[in-house]
Formats: sequence, structure tokens, C-alpha cells
Amino acid sequence: MSRHFPPHVEEGIARARKLEYWTLAWLVTVVPLMALVVGSSQAMKTVWIEDMLGFIPPIVFLVSARLERKEPTDAFPFGFDRVNSAAFVVSAVALTLMGLYLLFEAVMTLAKAEHPTVGTIRLFGRDVWMGWPMIAVLLWSTIPSMILGRLKLPLARTINDKVLHTDADMQKADWMTGLAAIVGVIGIGFGLWWADAAAAGLISFGILHDGIGGLRASTAELVDGAPRKLEKDEIADEAQLLKDELERLFPGARVRLRETGRVIRAQVTARPPDLPLDLETLWPGERDRAWRLAQVSFVPPQDDR
Amino acid sequence: MRLPFLLFLAAALATSCGQFPRDPEDTLNRVRSEGSFRVGLVAPLGQGRLDAKAAQLIQRVSSSAGAQARLEIGDAEPLLDRLESGDLDLVLGRFEKKSPWARLVTFGPPLRVEKQGKTTFHLTAAMRNGENAWIALVEREARNVAPEAQ
Repeated sequence: MSRHFPPHVEEGIARARKLEYWTLAWLVTVVPLMALVVGSSQAMKTVWIEDMLGFIPPIVFLVSARLERKEPTDAFPFGFDRVNSAAFVVSAVALTLMGLYLLFEAVMTLAKAEHPTVGTIRLFGRDVWMGWPMIAVLLWSTIPSMILGRLKLPLARTINDKVLHTDADMQKADWMTGLAAIVGVIGIGFGLWWADAAAAGLISFGILHDGIGGLRASTAELVDGAPRKLEKDEIADEAQLLKDELERLFPGARVRLRETGRVIRAQVTARPPDLPLDLETLWPGERDRAWRLAQVSFVPPQDDR
Repeated sequence: MRLPFLLFLAAALATSCGQFPRDPEDTLNRVRSEGSFRVGLVAPLGQGRLDAKAAQLIQRVSSSAGAQARLEIGDAEPLLDRLESGDLDLVLGRFEKKSPWARLVTFGPPLRVEKQGKTTFHLTAAMRNGENAWIALVEREARNVAPEAQ
């Protein structure tokens, strides 16, 4: 059976899809503009690569939002709930490796004391220092990103989506990236050759941080970890409440929770109850999040190895 | 609100402080205060009559910086090596468009483009990396000499 969610979650997913399309459309304008002005500034190059990596989370979200609705098949009898986590591991690895590489490049640029050249361009008959177009493009790469990030963050909680949350977090923090790069470019203008590489180092730390955060979030789910909070690698409060509730209902039973995509599945090592459980009323957390409990399965104690 | 304010402040600061951009190694100020700049001409340039466009560029840079050019002729590698270490201010020559030196020095807009088989050569000026005020001055004058080179 293909997966359906309550109307407010479906609306949230539809809105998130729209925002991700907007993000892709905006990135399509940013990346070529960056390529035009990148020059030999390390900070610009770092932001440019970060923007290129920015394509990954929206694409992962859009693909997985479509795939999670696919009917289970013989080859994938449990459906495709986890497809976003699998894809997200790949993007988190890419972010982490790229962060490490850019950090290494920034440190090497500083160590070799390479002086970045930012030359001039003739525009409408005037010679303009390339730093100014660089700053204009950086602003264009930063401000819409901040707005999109802020719009996505509450949605990520409503639809409980890790990819969207990480994407929103990255974009929300983009003003720091943009500001660091602008400071680097202005630093070059003031003759401070090291300002550019130092800014690039700071930005690559940010990319590395995002990559490691993404890795933690996605791998926890893939190894059947207990459901995590969206914002940090800690067990979610609502998951803990659910576990407590199941342990209260089935004293002495072993209760295990895991997360597959947006939903939680519980396994109770006990004899199944005589009457079917109503998952809605079983959910001890906020009512509008009761949809997260997708399944409670029972394993006879003698079969739990 | 903080970001636009900081940027406005930085831009105002930048444009109000006279020379912008500035050179980390102070090339333009040194050229102006010493009244001279050191130019390397990559042979065969400068052997015999100097190429008209190269001569025009040297003349324009000279009057724009208020300094005299001190010329010397040599091979490309030693001259570019000295440019990179700050021993020369400008090297003029015919370089491959995809010169491996492009990472180590800054090539200005081409004064002339020449094709030889599949290889493209540029008659151009090379400057020391990162000396952005000096680079801006030379680039401006190179565009004035060869307006087709934007």
C-alpha cells in the first residue's frame, strides 16, 4: 500500500517541494554567475563549490518524496521510506570530503602565502575592480538562501524530514558564509592577502560541520538507531515518550523503536494483545504528530534472539 | 539588517580610503615614490625595434604612474621567476594562452592575439600576483592600447 499522510503533512510536503523547486531555480542562476566572477579568490571558489553542493539536498528531497509513495515491490517489500536516508548518506559523505578538501586548500594557500589576484573588468566603458561584482554575486547567493532556509525550517518539523531540515539549516546559516566571503574579498581590496584564505578556511569549516551533521543524522537511521531529534543527534523526546507508554502497556516487554523515513516503527517483545491497537490513541505526544507512529509489531519472547 | 549595514560600512570605508584596491607588497606606491618601475622584455621582444603595442603600453603605464620604465631583456623563465619574487614589476612578452605560469603570475588583457597552428599566443604584460592596485593600472592601460581586448 502506498504511503499517505494526514492533510496537514501532505500540505507541508507539497509546500516543501515548491520551496525546493525555488531553491533549484535560484541555484541555477547563482552557480553560473559565480563562475563568471570567481577569479583567483579562494573564498569565492569555496562559496561556489558550496553552492554547487547545494543542489544535492533539494534533489535528494524531491526524489525521495516521490519514491516514498511508491508501492512496495517483491524486491522491496517494506517500501521506500528510507530512500532519503540512503541518498542523504551519499550527499553527507560528499559534503564532508569537500569540506576537508577545501579546508586543506585554504591552509595550503595560507602556508604558501599565495597572494590572490582580483583584477578589473571593463563595464560600460569604465574599469571596475572585480571585487565589486564578486560582492554583488555573493549577496545574490546569500540573501534568497537565508529566506528559503527560514521558510523550510518549520516545515521540516511539521513533515519530520531530515533532508529538508539539514538543507534549511545550511541555508539559514548561509549569511555567515556570504559575509565571510565578502570580508575576504574586501580584505583583498585592503591588501590583506591572507583575509581571503582565512575566510575560505572558515567557510570550509562550515561545510565540514554540515557534512558531519548530515552523516550522523542519516547513518543513525540506516543502522536502525532509535528515532533522533531533527536538530541534533539525540533521541527524540516523542520517541522516548512512546517507548515509556509501550513499556507501561506491556510490563516487562522489550520495546525497540526505529525510524524509517518520517515514520516510527515499534517492536514489542511480548504476546500480542487480544484487541487490535489504535495507533492514534497510543501516541503519547502532540496529537498532530500521531501520524508518525506507523506500526507496532509483536515478537513472541521465545523468538526474540 | 546587520548584513547590509556591515556591507555598506565596508564599501563606504573602502571607497573613502583613497587607493582601493591596495597592494599587499605596495608596488604601486613604491613605483610612484621611486619614480621608476622595472620591466622585463622577453626576447626577442626588445631586440631591435620594440613592438609598437608593447612600447605604447610602457609609455601609458609610465605616464599614468608618473614613473620611468627601466627596461631589461631576457628569457621568459628567469624574468617571470624574478617577477614572482618581486624583483621586477612587469614582464612583457609573447606567451601561450594556456601558459603554466598563469597560476604564478597575473597576465593582463592581450595586446595582440596570434595563432600558430593550434596554439594561441598572446602579446601581453605579466604582473606579480596579488598586487591588485598595480594590476588594475596596467590592465586599464592595456585595454586603452588594445580596446578590442576586454
